[in-house]
This record gives sequence, C-alpha cells and structure tokens, in this order.
Amino acid sequence: MGLVPWYDGRDGMYGWIWRHLPGNTWVRALISLVLVVAVVYVLFQYVFPWAEPLLPFNDVTVDNQ
Amino acid sequence: MAATTDTEHEEHTGASASRPSAARRRPGPVAMAVSVFGELLITAGLVLGLFVVYSLWWTNVVADRTAGKQADKVRDDWAHGRDGGPGALDTKNGIGFLHVPAMKNGEVLVEKGTSSKILNDGVAGYYTDPVKAVLPMSGKTGNFSLAAHRDGHGAKFHNIDKIKKGDPIVFETKDKWYVYKVYDILPETSKFNVKVLSQVPKESGKKKPGHYITLTTCTPVYTSTYRYVVWGELERVEKVNADRTPPKALR
Repeated sequence: MGLVPWYDGRDGMYGWIWRHLPGNTWVRALISLVLVVAVVYVLFQYVFPWAEPLLPFNDVTVDNQ
Repeated sequence: MAATTDTEHEEHTGASASRPSAARRRPGPVAMAVSVFGELLITAGLVLGLFVVYSLWWTNVVADRTAGKQADKVRDDWAHGRDGGPGALDTKNGIGFLHVPAMKNGEVLVEKGTSSKILNDGVAGYYTDPVKAVLPMSGKTGNFSLAAHRDGHGAKFHNIDKIKKGDPIVFETKDKWYVYKVYDILPETSKFNVKVLSQVPKESGKKKPGHYITLTTCTPVYTSTYRYVVWGELERVEKVNADRTPPKALR
C-alpha cells in the first residue's frame, strides 16, 4: 500500500474528489471537513428519519398488523 | 493541474523518486471499478455506523428536548389552571406524568396515541388502537395501557426490565396521584398479542374488572422482535396538595 502514491489515480471516488478540490492541502482538508459535516447533516436530518420507520428496530406497541 | 502534480511529487520524493514512470499510468477499468466498489463498501459501513449513532444517541437528544418542552407546557397549564374548562380533558398535550422509580428516569409525559409520531417525541402514549385505554381519571374500571420506546427517541421504557413485582408505578395528573403496584410481568410475548391490553388482562391472572395499568415496549433491547409487558393494579388515589408533594411511593 505504501508503494502506491495516493494520487496516482487508483484511489477511487474519494481520491477523485480530493484531486478536484481547489487550493492547497489545508484548504482541501477544510473543504473536505465541510463536505463531511454537510453529508452527516443531510443523513441525520432527512435520510435517517425517513429510513427509520422502514426498519424493524423500534416498534414498541402490540397490534394486529 | 500540472503544477499541483509537481508540488505533490516533490512532497513524495522519497516514495516516488525510485519508481519507474510506467507505474504511474492510469489504471485499467477493472482496477478502477474495484477501487470504487471498495470505497462504496467503506462508505456503506460508515453510513450504517452513523445510523447507529443516530438511533441510539441523536434521537434521544431530539426527543428529550421535545418532551421537556411539552412537559413544561403541561406543568405551566396546570399551574395556571388552563385545563380547557371544568371537567374537560386536554388530550392534545400530555394528560399527565408517569413516575416509575424502578426505571430511574424521572417523569415521563403521557400523551394520547401510540403512533411513532407521538412516541418519537420522547413520551409514553396510551393506546387508542387496537384496544382503547381506560384513563384513570375517568374513574371507570379498565386497563390504562401505555407504550414507549425501549431505545432511541427518549428511550423512556429502557429500564423496564428493572421493574419487579411489588414496585410502584405512579401516574400524576393535575390533581390526583394514582399509585399502582406491579403484580405481574411478561418478559416476552408476541407483538401480535393484543390480549395483554384487555380491560381485564387474563394473562396476568386477573379475572375481575379492576383498575389496571399496562406498560408495553419492545424486547430484547435494540430490537423489536418481542414485547415486554408489565401489569399493575391501582392501590390508592391521593389528592395533589398545594406543594405537589409526591406520594410516599416516590419518596
């Protein structure tokens, strides 16, 4: 793994994103962080609340269904 | 891009100086596909991990905040005598508070209904379906059946397994304390077993009408495979005094 430089194109989508971010390493790291926070926000605010009732983890009532 | 590559190249001189330039050719489509697939798997793992964090932590944060607000509103309405006119029961907000010392979670606001929309606010709900709960304030015999979350969304009945026979369950309304005593526990039953909500819950060994309370939640923890049921029977009703001094069972 150490033999393959991280920027040589074999790095899939995260590498692709990293290479397409502007600025130097610090700016890129900052933008990455903002992106991660944005993704987590969208997941917590919209995706998980939507997905939760579809998953059988938290039904507490007895019913006929 | 060329300039960037150069600086990056310099940063990694130690690793790449000795490498033949052929090794830096663009990888084939298969290698790309495999690496993207691998990253998708890692991403899926991270998302699932985040979902656990969301379910077991974040929903509690949100629910406790909502429940706290609603509880404050109920207390405020009580203090100012805004209960919707004489005899009227304000069921839109909470109808009262459940105190179960054995669960060590303070007071739980009780609201009408057991839909996830209600329960997700970090409260306990009384059943309206499939069997309608009989509220203790009505004075009629019947079963006051309640449900709340075991995990996440406030997890108000998380410690339901800590309740033992003989433990008190106290329901507090504007002007009464209803003190129940736990007399039977069903640690595991089918989620289709609606008979546990009957006005006379026969499974608990009762044959005659009385004032019962039933707590239901899911079990085992973190899943919804079965239901956990706790039954109690009304022992006495105390009037709330000016200081709202809790009954002896809570002290």
